[in-house]
Amino acid sequence: MPPRSAKPVQPIWCPGCGDFGVLAAVKRAAANLKIPVHELVLVGGIGCSGSIHNFLEINGIHALHGRLLAQAVGVKLANPGLTVVAAGGDGDGYAIGMGHFVHAFKKNASILYLVMNNETYGLTKGQASPTSQIGFEGNVEPPFHAVLTALSVPAPNFIARTFSGDPKGMTAILEEALRFNREGRGFAFVEDLSPCVTYNDTYKLWREKVVDVATLPGYDPTDRRKMFGACLDQIDAGRIPIGVLHRPAAADREGLEVKLLGDRPGPVRGPIDLEANRAHYEKLLAALA
Amino acid sequence: MTTPASRTVPLAGAATPDAAHRPLELADLSVMIGGQGGDGTLTVSDLLGRYFRKRGLYVYTSRNVLSRIRGGHADASVRASRDPISAVKAQVDVLVAFDQQAIDLGRAELAPHGFVLYDSTSFHADFPEAAGFPFATLVGGPLGQPIFKNTAAYGALSVVFGFDPAMTRGVIEDRFRRRGGEALEKNLKALEIGRKAALEATGVAHRFSVVDGDAHDLILTTGNQAVALGFAVGGGRFFAGYPITPATEVMEYLQRYLPPLGGVVRQAEDELAAINMVIGASYAGARAMTSTSGPGLSLMTEGIGHAGAAEIPVLVADCQRVGPSTGEPTRHEQSDLAHLAHLGHGEFPRFIVAPADPVDAFGLTIEALNLADRWRVPVILLLDQALCQNTTTSRRFDLSAVRIDRGSRLGAEAVGGLEEYKVYGHTDTGISPWAAPGTPGVWSEVTGNEHDEWGHVSVDPTNRRKMMRKRMEKMVRARDELPSGRLYGPAEAKVGLVGFGSTSGPIFEAQRLLESRGVATRYYQARTLYPVPAHELDRFLAPLDVAYVVEHNYLGQFAALLRASLPWHHAKLRSILKYDGASFRAPEIVAEIREAA
Repeated sequence: MPPRSAKPVQPIWCPGCGDFGVLAAVKRAAANLKIPVHELVLVGGIGCSGSIHNFLEINGIHALHGRLLAQAVGVKLANPGLTVVAAGGDGDGYAIGMGHFVHAFKKNASILYLVMNNETYGLTKGQASPTSQIGFEGNVEPPFHAVLTALSVPAPNFIARTFSGDPKGMTAILEEALRFNREGRGFAFVEDLSPCVTYNDTYKLWREKVVDVATLPGYDPTDRRKMFGACLDQIDAGRIPIGVLHRPAAADREGLEVKLLGDRPGPVRGPIDLEANRAHYEKLLAALA
Repeated sequence: MTTPASRTVPLAGAATPDAAHRPLELADLSVMIGGQGGDGTLTVSDLLGRYFRKRGLYVYTSRNVLSRIRGGHADASVRASRDPISAVKAQVDVLVAFDQQAIDLGRAELAPHGFVLYDSTSFHADFPEAAGFPFATLVGGPLGQPIFKNTAAYGALSVVFGFDPAMTRGVIEDRFRRRGGEALEKNLKALEIGRKAALEATGVAHRFSVVDGDAHDLILTTGNQAVALGFAVGGGRFFAGYPITPATEVMEYLQRYLPPLGGVVRQAEDELAAINMVIGASYAGARAMTSTSGPGLSLMTEGIGHAGAAEIPVLVADCQRVGPSTGEPTRHEQSDLAHLAHLGHGEFPRFIVAPADPVDAFGLTIEALNLADRWRVPVILLLDQALCQNTTTSRRFDLSAVRIDRGSRLGAEAVGGLEEYKVYGHTDTGISPWAAPGTPGVWSEVTGNEHDEWGHVSVDPTNRRKMMRKRMEKMVRARDELPSGRLYGPAEAKVGLVGFGSTSGPIFEAQRLLESRGVATRYYQARTLYPVPAHELDRFLAPLDVAYVVEHNYLGQFAALLRASLPWHHAKLRSILKYDGASFRAPEIVAEIREAA
């Protein structure tokens, strides 16, 4: 019997919160892929969604607001054998964390970034967020579309959008994203439309508006340019494109950790004791003149 | 090479060459080379340093550059001495000027016997003891490019100091051999052009002579290089940083050292990302660090607070420069201490350790890694620009004292024997042993929110009190493990000096000057700055009549911490402060010691 590592904790979310769907889908996807619990790390952000790591009984960091991606990349590069998920909200990722968000695509470390977008700051009681529609809580700024930003970075990432109202579709996409990571292919970004039942209950509206891009004519997730245009067309028409938006044509191991370390064990699993490295150290020190 | 006819000028001596034109022998000398960026001042300083080291002298070099890539005035200085030195000499013996600004800036620092060598191609130095040579024109004709003027100036300098010609050439060969045929050949020619011009001029040759020293088998290094090597040897395998003067070289050295050891170095998008990548890597089980300077430190403050609350070990090297804001990026100061001692909102433990020289920096980096791991706390390695970037002859770093102690980390075997695994469990030692993710059978949840022993968010008042005490008491419990200060000077001295970081160099020299005036001093070099080592300082201060706290800031930040920790010694503490961007020259310290007046 392994030691007990945690005591169960009940989610803090309101009944009906979209984040319950995400929690269930993450659990199912990890179970389907048979990822050992001790090799799974979830880095959570700040906000309702960021507390997800509390309810999963896996390794987790409850990170600083907006900094979860940096911490998750640090975990992955230190030990590429771990499966690393960063999960947070739209305020966390697209406001305070925007700098790290854009760079995550460029870095292309093999981690999954799961954003639960509810178009509001729920935990601080319903302020407008970067994705809020014009008019929401007096918002006059146009909403930010993270998937367009994602598609604009020319890197071999996996990009998708899911809807908490479709748990089956979400599980399938999360599974694909995690597999993409575990094969060392790079960064996976999945934005989940996760309604806030208290401050922005959009279940009904979003159910009407979502369009699975796979149903569009000429669907080709390897073609960024076409997908960008298709998403823009849908957005302009008042619809919300979901599904797999980008998947690199080649199955190359393009992950940052692979580029830096190849198949070497990396910072955590490599030997750091003096004796194992003495000859190398002595050479380094002897080179000083 | 000492000739009976020559006279030795002691430290900071002030004599002039006598009427017989015997060379003035210098056992401690300083050459300053100034010019426009691209004039090759650093090459001249490097060549001189190499020559003096061949003569067995201790060498200390410093640079004064503007924060720009090209152009603008820049100067470099080389000091060489028969005695160990790690400070800039108060007076310049020879000034090499490639532009008028070098004269304007160097004039104030030139010794009364000082001599100026200048490039008369572009300007005329209106200076009594000066010799002008059109270096750029002299080399431009035969070599086709004026850039060799720096090597020609080195040639002229070799004549001024009466260098051994073969050894002078040897330095050029050592320096340019690797670049191959043409570079070496042209530099050797430039050397001869400079030598010939100087030999043919009147009153230039052999104005000074250089003594031989016994400083052999030393290395020339910087604090930044020592930190990078200490980190690699101490088992550091993950570094993330963002370029910032004067910290960048730590990252650059590690880009060379870590990848062959299986480590990772990343240049992040900003300092927020850098510290958080380090936190992630450390949580995952790597020994991880970052290095930065003032503006970056301000951004990292958020992350260091998170590490303190979540009990994640991190090592942050702060290479201090002039602040606040962007301040003076290339200049020297020690003004981050007050911020670091109280860093972050809320309350959490942190240790601040400060090395004085490269050997100390190598060792303390490894000790800091051990402390961070053992106590699960952020540790700050406090450095300063002069220590970070000035080069100094140093003893070799050796592995005999290297000890790697991961303290609170649990391996798979240790975990196997547990019934319960609590990542923040209360223990008798106040430290919670923990396991990295990937350890079979357990998982670790960490958070910067207040949490219970399992790592779950908690606002329970009893839990809060216990957790606060657990974290804060590390500051007391770790006391005997924190690096001890070092004492220099006779125990019976009644005048004390207190300092830290590179200020030790000028303080040692000030002690020698004071001793020659009959004032005995005892110096306490603080190596742990926070928590203030009050027990050590109390013992140090008790027998003294007065103690001067020497530091590079306006507020007397370390003195303020001492006063708060040791109020009963308040009356005997005085401050010697410098905050003009330049490091202390020993006589500046001596001038502030009232007992020497």
